Amino acid sequence: MKAYWHLVRAQLLLFVRNKNTMIWSFFLPVFMMLALGTFMNDGGDQISLKIGVVDADRTAASAAWKKEIAGFQGVQLEPGSESALMKQLKTGDIDLIVKIKQGFQEAFEAKEPYSGAKMVAIYADPGNQTVTQMATTVVNQAVERFNKERVDYQPVVETEIKPVHSRNLSYMDFLVPGILSLMIMSNNLNGVAATIASWRERGILRRLQGTPLTSSTFIAGQMTARILLNAFQAIVVLLVAYFLFDISVFGSWSTLILLIFLGTLTFMSMGFIVASLSKTPESASPIAGLISFPMIFVGGIFFPIRDLPGILQPLVQAIPIGHLTDALRGVMNDGLTLGQLILPVTVLLAWAVGSFVIAALTFRWDVK
Amino acid sequence: MIFVKNLVKKYGSQMVVKGISFMVREKQIFGLLGPNGAGKTTTMEMMEGLRTPDGGSIEIAGIDAVKNRSELKRIIGVQLQSTSLFEHLTVRESLQLYGSFYRKTRPLKEILQAFDLTEKEKARVKHLSGGQRQRLAIAIAVIHDPRVIFLDEPTTGLDPQARRRLWDIVFQLRDEGRTVILSTHYMEEAEVLCDQVGIMSQGKIIDIDSPAGLIRGLSSKSRIEFVLPDHRLDQELTRLKGVTDVVREENEVVSLHTDHLSRTLHDLVPWASDRSVPLMGLRTRSATLEDVFLQKTGKRLSGE
Repeated sequence: MKAYWHLVRAQLLLFVRNKNTMIWSFFLPVFMMLALGTFMNDGGDQISLKIGVVDADRTAASAAWKKEIAGFQGVQLEPGSESALMKQLKTGDIDLIVKIKQGFQEAFEAKEPYSGAKMVAIYADPGNQTVTQMATTVVNQAVERFNKERVDYQPVVETEIKPVHSRNLSYMDFLVPGILSLMIMSNNLNGVAATIASWRERGILRRLQGTPLTSSTFIAGQMTARILLNAFQAIVVLLVAYFLFDISVFGSWSTLILLIFLGTLTFMSMGFIVASLSKTPESASPIAGLISFPMIFVGGIFFPIRDLPGILQPLVQAIPIGHLTDALRGVMNDGLTLGQLILPVTVLLAWAVGSFVIAALTFRWDVK
Repeated sequence: MIFVKNLVKKYGSQMVVKGISFMVREKQIFGLLGPNGAGKTTTMEMMEGLRTPDGGSIEIAGIDAVKNRSELKRIIGVQLQSTSLFEHLTVRESLQLYGSFYRKTRPLKEILQAFDLTEKEKARVKHLSGGQRQRLAIAIAVIHDPRVIFLDEPTTGLDPQARRRLWDIVFQLRDEGRTVILSTHYMEEAEVLCDQVGIMSQGKIIDIDSPAGLIRGLSSKSRIEFVLPDHRLDQELTRLKGVTDVVREENEVVSLHTDHLSRTLHDLVPWASDRSVPLMGLRTRSATLEDVFLQKTGKRLSGE
C-alpha cells in the first residue's frame, strides 16, 4: 500500500514537471476550444442567413414584404442587382437570392383571390442543402404570412413545436464533450504507450523489477495517477467552457466522473498493450498515433457520427471512442442518467475490462 | 554465500552464457571482468532474478534465485545503468519512492550522508553530474540494507576522480558486511577493487582467482617496452636472456615478456647499442589483468 501511494505521488510529480504533459493536457484542449469556439460560434445559437434581394417591382407592397422577411431572426437582407448578387451567391458571400418580380403589388391588389401567380423566385446553390432549405423555409413563411394577411386569415388549428433538447444547443455544447473524449483518448493511449516504452528502453522498468514491487501495484499506481490527471483536466476544460462559453454540465457529475474513469481505463490499457507489443521503443508512439488518429474522425468528436458514411457505421459502433463521446454528450448536454446511457456504458465497460485483461497479460518489464 | 552452477542463457538460437559456474564468499567483492558482449550483464541479471536462465541453478544466501524471486529481491540491491532513474524526480523523492517498496529502510539522512548527496537532496536527477547519478543509483540500491549488492559497470563514463570516489564507496559497502558483485570492463578497476575476479569471454568464465593470483599464473610477470620501428629485429629479441615472448603493441612499440627483468635488461642494453637502436620510450612494468586476458584469449580487453 505504501508503494502504491508513493508511485501515484511520483507519477503526479512527473506529470507536473514534464512540460510536454502540461502542454498536451491543459494548454491544447483550452486552445482548441478557444480556436474552434471563436470560428464556429459566430452569431451564437441563431441561424444566420444572408439573403440577396432583387426588387424588380419597387412598390409599397414589395417594400412591405421585404420588411416582413427582414423581420425574421438572423436574416440579413442584401440588396443589389441580379448579376452582382449572382456573383456573390457563387462565392458564398450570400446564401440565397430572392427575386421579387415585376407586378408583385398588382397581383396582391387584384380583385380575384387565388390567382396563384408566381411572383417570388428563389435562386439557391443546391450544393449547400441545409442552408438552402432553411432559407427557402424563411422565404416561404414570409410569403405565406403576407398571403394570410391579405385574406384576413384566422387559423383554426395551430401547431406547437416542442424541442427534444431541453435547451438550445450550440456547436460549443457539442464540441466540449468531444474535446474531453479526445483528451481522454490521446492522453492515455498515446501518453502511456510513449512513456512506458521509453521507461522500458531506459531500464527504469527493469530497475523497478529488481525490487519487491509487483506489476499489479505498478499498474494500479499508474492508473490512479492518470485518472486523477484526466479528472483535473476535465475540470479545467469544463471551467473554461463555463466561463467563456457559458456551457455547463446538465447531467450528474458522478456519471460524468464514471465515464472519465471508464474512458481512462480503456485507453490506458490500450496504451500498455501497444507499449508491450511494439518491437522497439521508437515504434510505440507511431503505432499509438496510427490507432488514435483515425479515431478522431470516426469518434464523433468534431461532427456527429451519423454524418459518417454508412459503410463505416458498424465499425464506428464497435469501437469505444464514439460511445465515450456520445455518453459524455448525453450527460453534459441532455442530462441523461446512467440508465438512459446503458448501451454506450455497457460497450465501454466491455472494452475497459477486455483491454485491461489483455494489458495485464501482455505486460513485461524488460526489452525482449 | 552465492553458488552459481552450469548457468546457461540463450537469446533465440544464440547462446550468450555457456554453462558457467562460480561461487562467491560472504563479505567479498566479486568482479566479472570482460569486454562488452561477454555475457556479464546477462549473468548478473539472472542472479538478480530479472531473467530466467535456460539451464543451471543460482543460490544466494540460501535462496533459490530462479524459483523464489520475490524473497530474493528483499535481500539484494540492484544498480543498473544511470539512465534507469526518473529524470524529473529529486534525489530525496527517488530515495523515498524506492524505499516505499521495502518493509524496512535505512534513515534517509544516513543514506544521503554516506553517499555524499546531502547537498543535492532537493536537486532533480537530470541536473546531477555523472558521478552523483551513480552514487544515487547505488544509494537507492542499498536503501533497504541488502546483504548482497549488484553493481553493473558502476564507473563506466566517469572521470578518474569520480571513479576513485566510487571505489571508496564500494569498499565501504564491503566493510559494512555486504557481498558485492560487480561487472566491469576496466582491468584496473577489477585489480584495485575485487577480492576475486572471474574473467569472462564469449559467454564463458575462463579463470577465477584473486587479481594477484591471476597475474601469478602468467608465464612471465614483467614487461619491457620500447619503440622499435624495424619489425625484422623482433626475432633477435626472443634470444635475449629470460625473454619468453615478444609481442607487438600499437605505435611501433615492442613488448618483451620476461620473468627475469634484470637479466633481460642487462642483455638488452649492449644489443641495442650494437644495432644503434635508441630504446626510445623504454619502460618496464609488472604484468596486469590485461596481460592475463590477452594470454588467455589472444585478444585485448580494451582498445577495440
